[in-house]
Amino acid sequence: MTAVESDKMTTNTSTLPHSRPALPRIVTDAMPVVVMAVGGLAAFWLFPNDLGLLTRILAAALFVMSLDMVLGYCGIATLGHAAMFGTGAYAAGIVAVNWVSDPLALLAVGGVAGGLIALATGALILHARGLTLLMLTIAVAQIVQEVANKARDWTGGSDGLSGIDPAPVLGLFRFDLYGRTSYLFALAVLIVGFLVARRIVRSPCGLACRGVREEPLRIAALGGSPRRYLVSMYAVAGVFAGIAGALTAITSGIVGLDSVGFSWSAEAMIMLVLGGTGRLYGAVIGTVAFMAIHHILASTDPFHWMLFIGLFLMGIVLFLPGGIASLSARVLPLVKGGR
Amino acid sequence: MSGTLRGALMGAVFTIALGTGTAWAGTIKVGVIAPFSGPFATVGKTFKEGIEVYQAQHGKTVGGDTVEFIFKDLDQANPAQSKALAQELVVKEKVGYLAGFFFTPDALAVAPLIDEANIPCVIFNAATSAITEKSPRYVRTSFTLWQNTVPLAQYVAKQGVTKVATAVSDYGPGIDGETAFKKTFEAEGGRVVDSIRMPLKSTDFAPFMQRIKDSGAQAIYAFLPAGPTTLAFAKAFSDTGLKAQGVKFYGPGDITQEPDLPALGDAAAGIISTFNYSQVHDSDLNRAFVAKHKELFGSSDTVTFTSVGAYDGAHVIYKMIEATGGKSDGLKAVEAVKGMTWESPRGPLKIDPDSRHVTQTIYLRVTEPKDGKLQNTEIAAFPNQPDYGFKVGK
Repeated sequence: MTAVESDKMTTNTSTLPHSRPALPRIVTDAMPVVVMAVGGLAAFWLFPNDLGLLTRILAAALFVMSLDMVLGYCGIATLGHAAMFGTGAYAAGIVAVNWVSDPLALLAVGGVAGGLIALATGALILHARGLTLLMLTIAVAQIVQEVANKARDWTGGSDGLSGIDPAPVLGLFRFDLYGRTSYLFALAVLIVGFLVARRIVRSPCGLACRGVREEPLRIAALGGSPRRYLVSMYAVAGVFAGIAGALTAITSGIVGLDSVGFSWSAEAMIMLVLGGTGRLYGAVIGTVAFMAIHHILASTDPFHWMLFIGLFLMGIVLFLPGGIASLSARVLPLVKGGR
Repeated sequence: MSGTLRGALMGAVFTIALGTGTAWAGTIKVGVIAPFSGPFATVGKTFKEGIEVYQAQHGKTVGGDTVEFIFKDLDQANPAQSKALAQELVVKEKVGYLAGFFFTPDALAVAPLIDEANIPCVIFNAATSAITEKSPRYVRTSFTLWQNTVPLAQYVAKQGVTKVATAVSDYGPGIDGETAFKKTFEAEGGRVVDSIRMPLKSTDFAPFMQRIKDSGAQAIYAFLPAGPTTLAFAKAFSDTGLKAQGVKFYGPGDITQEPDLPALGDAAAGIISTFNYSQVHDSDLNRAFVAKHKELFGSSDTVTFTSVGAYDGAHVIYKMIEATGGKSDGLKAVEAVKGMTWESPRGPLKIDPDSRHVTQTIYLRVTEPKDGKLQNTEIAAFPNQPDYGFKVGK
C-alpha cells in the first residue's frame, strides 16, 4: 500500500520543482482554492435549503484534512483523531457558554486546545509505530471521552453541552435560522485552513515528515529526529482538528460526546481514504462525496441506507484504491496521449 | 435568473417556511427525527409503528388537512447532525412540527431552532428533565427518570427495606436515577449504603456485585441502558448468588422493556420496576392499541414504552393542529395543549402546564413468566405522578 501511495504522491504533488512541467505552478496551486471557493459559493446558491448539512460537511472536511496531515503526510495510523476535534469543540463550547462568544476567538480557543492535547498525547505515544500506535490513539480518545463524560458540570456529560450562542461574526453577521452565515463562515475557515495546511506540509518540517513516513532510519542517519518531526506535525494537525471542532460547536450550538467518539474518528478515516491520502484536497473531496452520498441515501431510504453506503465504499476500494482524487492521476495521462 | 427575482423567490419561500403559507387546506408535515438504522433502529421502528397505529385509528386528516409524517434517520446520539436534520426539515420540507428524539442531546440541539422558527417540538422519548426548560416550545410525552424513580423509592421504603445500594451506569440518566432515588429514599427514612457508578461500557459486573454484597444492602436500585448491559448485569446478579440470598432488585422499567425480555430470560424474573407503560396493561384502550398493532405489523411483541410515547405524541400533534386551525404557530399550539387531559393506552394523561411534560400514572410491575414468555405484570399503580425532576437541577 505504501509503495502505491508514494508513487501517487510523486506524480501528484506540485511541490517538487521537477514534478509537473506542463502547468505552471501558480495554476496548479491556485486551482484547488478556486474550485473550493467557486464550488462552495455555487452550492450556497444552488442549495439554499441544505445549508445546515453543507456547513457540517465543511467543518468535517477541515477535520479530515487535519487527519490527512497526520496519516497522509506522516504515516501515523490513528483511530483517535476525534480526541483533538472533541477537545477543541468542548473548549470552544465551554468558553462560549461561560465567557466569550466571539466566533473568531472561539476558533482560536479550539485550535489552542486541540494543539495542546495533540502535543501532550503525541509526545507520549509517538514512540510507537503501527498497530501499537493505533491502539494507543484509540486509548487516548477513550480517555478524553471518559473525562468529558465525567466532567458533567462543565461538559453536560451525555446530555451534551448546549446553550452555545455565538456573537455575530466580526460583529456584523448574525448566525441565522437558514444557516447562511454559518455556511459562509465555515467556507472561509476551510479555505484559509487549506492554504495554511498546504504551506505547512510544504515547509521543511512537512517534507521531513514525509521522509519519516518513507524511511525513519534514513532521517535519523541524516541527523534529524523522526519523533520530533512527528510530534510537531501531530500537534499542528491537532490545531486544525481543534479548529474544526470549534467550528462545529459554533455552527451547531451544541457539543455531544459523539464528537470525541470512536465512530467519528473511524468515519473521518473512511472519508480520507475515500478521497485519497496525502493531498489535502483529497480530504475535501472524500468528505463531500461521503457525506453527500450518506445524506442522499439516508433521506431516500432512512431504514436501509447503511447497506448501500457499504456497497459504495467497497466499490471505491476495489476499483479506485487510491481514492477519488487519484482519478485525475489515472485519467490525465490517457488524455495527454498515454504518457 | 436575475438576483432580484431570486431574492424575491427566496423571500417568498422563507415566508412560507415561517408559517403563513400553510393557512390553506393541504398537507401539514411533521418531521420525525429518530434512529432508524444502526444499533437503536428498533426505537425508530416503534416510533413509526406507534404513529401509524394512531393514524390507522384516528385517520390521517385533521380539519381537512392531511397530516404527513416525514422520517429522518439519526442513527446515534449526534446533536450536530440532529440540528442539521431539523434545519433541513424546517427550511426545505417546511414542516410545521418536529417530533421524535430518542437521545437527550439530540433533542436539546434543536432548542434555538424551534424558538427561531416558532415550531412546536413533541419529544417521544429523550428523558432528561432539563430539556423542557430550554425552550417553551417543547412538549414531552414520555417519562423522566425522576418520574419513575420517586414512586419506586417511596414504595421500597414502605416495604420495610432500610438499606439499599444503588448501582447505575455512569452517564446522565444513571446519575439522575441515583440522585432521585437517594433523595426520596432518605427522605422516607431509609439509607443508601453504597452508590456505585459503573462505566457505561462495562460487561463484567462481578466486582460490583461483590461491593453490593459487602455493603450489606437488602435491596438494590439499578439503572443501565436497555440491552446487552442490562442483560449482563441481571445475569451477574443471579449468578453471584445475590438473588438467591434474597436481595431485592428494583429499577425503572427501561431495564425490562418488552423487546429485551426474551434475551433477558430467567435472569429478569422477579425484577420489580416502576414504569409508565406495560404491554399487558389491563384496559380496553390498550388491548385495542396492541390488537391494531398486531393487525398492521403482524406481531405485537415489540410494543413498548417508545410505542406509546409516539402514539400519544401523535395525539398531541393532532390536537395542536386542531387548535391552530392548520396554521403553524408554535406558541399557540403549545398553549392549546397545556393542561390537556386524555385517556391513553397507558392510562390517564395530562400535559402539566408548567413543565409541558406528561403527568401520568406510574405502575409497579414485577417481571414474571406467563404463557411461556416473560411479561411485566402491573401489581400497583401510583396515579398523577408529575416530573419530580423539573427545575431540580443536576
